[in-house]
Amino acid sequence: MQTIEFKINGTKKRLETKANVLLLDLIRDKVNVKSVKAGCWRGECGLCTVLLDGRPVKSCLVLGVEANGKEVITAEGLAPEGQLSRLQKLFIEKAAMQCGFCTPSFVLTAYYLLKQNPNPTEREIREFLSGHICRCGTYNQMIEAILEYAKEMKQEQEIPLPQPPRKKKDKKNERSS
Amino acid sequence: MAGGVGLLAFMKERLVSPGYVIDIKGIPELKSMQDDGSRGITIGASVPMSDLLDWHPLHERYKALRDCVSLLSDPVLRNRSTLIGDLCEALPFVDSPTPLLIFDAEVEAASVKGRRRIPVSEFIKGLAETALGPTEIAVAIHLKPPPENSRSIFLKHTSNSEFSIVNVAALAANTSRPEEREVRVAYGALAPIPSRVYEVEAPFKRKAPTPQLIGEAVAIIKKKAEPMTDVLAKAEYRLHMLEVLTLRAFTELLRA
Repeated sequence: MQTIEFKINGTKKRLETKANVLLLDLIRDKVNVKSVKAGCWRGECGLCTVLLDGRPVKSCLVLGVEANGKEVITAEGLAPEGQLSRLQKLFIEKAAMQCGFCTPSFVLTAYYLLKQNPNPTEREIREFLSGHICRCGTYNQMIEAILEYAKEMKQEQEIPLPQPPRKKKDKKNERSS
Repeated sequence: MAGGVGLLAFMKERLVSPGYVIDIKGIPELKSMQDDGSRGITIGASVPMSDLLDWHPLHERYKALRDCVSLLSDPVLRNRSTLIGDLCEALPFVDSPTPLLIFDAEVEAASVKGRRRIPVSEFIKGLAETALGPTEIAVAIHLKPPPENSRSIFLKHTSNSEFSIVNVAALAANTSRPEEREVRVAYGALAPIPSRVYEVEAPFKRKAPTPQLIGEAVAIIKKKAEPMTDVLAKAEYRLHMLEVLTLRAFTELLRA
């Protein structure tokens, strides 16, 4: 048994674990965070994705002890105090799920992508999510949600700051000169 | 264990059951990526592939390697998987040795007895078998600088799963001046051991129309190749796709 300490969704955890326990099992069984799903156990489906020190990794291919001293974020971490983030709300608005089993992992990877690249193209989104499988096939709706999020963020940035009104005289001077 | 992507998968299948696993990600030396300009580049054993994709030397100078890494697995997995890990798996469908061959890469191996460098061309000994000794670990990959003004490319053909059944890496420099023209090509995934085809390099220095040179080179490569038949593809199909990919790579690189 080893004692490890790590932060999960902002909370510090200190627990005992065997060295061969996967981060996936540790999170689900010991920390009781259930948005992280077990699908294939071999790094193909992407459902067990978590952000480990900010980067998405498949937690079925990470040992629990490797999280020692690190920070883990799951879908719960994107919605502190139960308040859904805009991206999560957009997944609901665009009906980007059917059974919902894969949704937490897609939201996490999409969140990371948008942080790296606030204005991704559809192709970039498809490429970036290629390590995730949605058996219901709601890929198009998810891409819509992500594109919509990027659009909204862009508009927010583009709202012009209030400018002092220009005097007409200045304009005339500019033209004549 | 660096990324552990391969090791943990093998352990789950009970293909290997090590008594101890040592995490080497905490060793600073292994995390380094070094660009020594005219002396080449060095990639540490625990550098994740996603970091390689963002690294500037790979954008132009070592483009074939970048092409290869960008096609490996998926963006999330690439946050964990490493180039050396991929190479050390030494399975026939592994892609990374092929581009490394055209850059004359060497694997740096370390043990308590010291360090040595093993050329990638001698590193893979057979199916899942490398030149590493029982007490050695691979700590870095060194790539020689490519010729000035060279361009490189990596292409692969996969079966209906994501495993390559043939891959090709090629490099070309000074394509307009025959006597200084330098062309390199390597293929992999065709047989357990990937190979560089040195035999095409001299013929490319002759003065002849490019399509003719390409045709001859492809013939030499096909003659040398010893494709295997396995669960992924038949030998005949592999050989045919080798022709298609080499033709495509040469045509792209030697375009006037």
